[in-house]
Amino acid sequence: MKTNDVILQTTTKVVFFIIFLFSIHIFFAGHYSPGGGFVGGLLTTGAIVLLLLAFDLKTVQKALPFNFTIMTGIGLLLALGTASGSIFFDVPFFTHAFSHFNLPLFGETSLHTAMIFDAGVYLVVVGAAITMIQTIGGDT
Amino acid sequence: MAFQILLNFFIASVWMFMSSSMNARTFIVGYLIGFLLIFMMRRFFKQRLYIERLWATIKLTLLFFKELTLSNISVLLLVLRPNLNIQPMIFALPTDLEHDWEITLLASLITLTPGTIVLYVSDDQRTLYIHAIDVDDVDDAIDSIKNSFEKAIKEVSRP
Repeated sequence: MKTNDVILQTTTKVVFFIIFLFSIHIFFAGHYSPGGGFVGGLLTTGAIVLLLLAFDLKTVQKALPFNFTIMTGIGLLLALGTASGSIFFDVPFFTHAFSHFNLPLFGETSLHTAMIFDAGVYLVVVGAAITMIQTIGGDT
Repeated sequence: MAFQILLNFFIASVWMFMSSSMNARTFIVGYLIGFLLIFMMRRFFKQRLYIERLWATIKLTLLFFKELTLSNISVLLLVLRPNLNIQPMIFALPTDLEHDWEITLLASLITLTPGTIVLYVSDDQRTLYIHAIDVDDVDDAIDSIKNSFEKAIKEVSRP
């Protein structure tokens, strides 16, 4: 019994971008306001799960051809690399560095190595959650 | 339509480079000049001016708010009625909208106005099955939807 999901699919095509944009916003807002890598990763996962609900597993795998297991590994490497970078500067493990830079488009921006660690957390969360859902939802 | 908007943005950007000031005010002035030029050259485009479709979209929004208010009041009167002599009904609405987004928009508008709910879209997307809370005459209900929402959506999507 295959039903006509035209309303769900058309709405998903619009809503997916809004959720994804909001997840990026939440990811960058983690320093002074609520948000961060974990919540941003879960929101991105939510957007992909919405795609999985509206379309099917094969279509989404074709549209997003990432190996999510490898993505989890890259995230862990990023987090570990940020933490162990402090060894080379003769400071304790996990010491973060930050300073102000003059970027061409953003102007005066404060950059912090904690953001790279957060990106690692983000990748781990997205990779792990999607791997779980694909493994449970798959036919094999 | 998309081509006309892009052309308008292009003219505005060229105007910004000509007057060598990169701020929002110059861009808006350039955009208005570009719109005037496109309006003068409207005979050369195969499609309607994009401002007409924008106007049709605004009219559709206003129509939706009008229908929302009126149908809310009618459902409120139904609820407050002491004796419940309503005639619920599921009827098929034949539609000749083609694109997916038109069907979605029509279904959302019908569902958001109280008293009517879209239950199902047929596989060939030619029929919508609608549940209505109080129908005296089916042809009347179909005609009212066709003449209000469907006509406005067609007005928006006409190239």
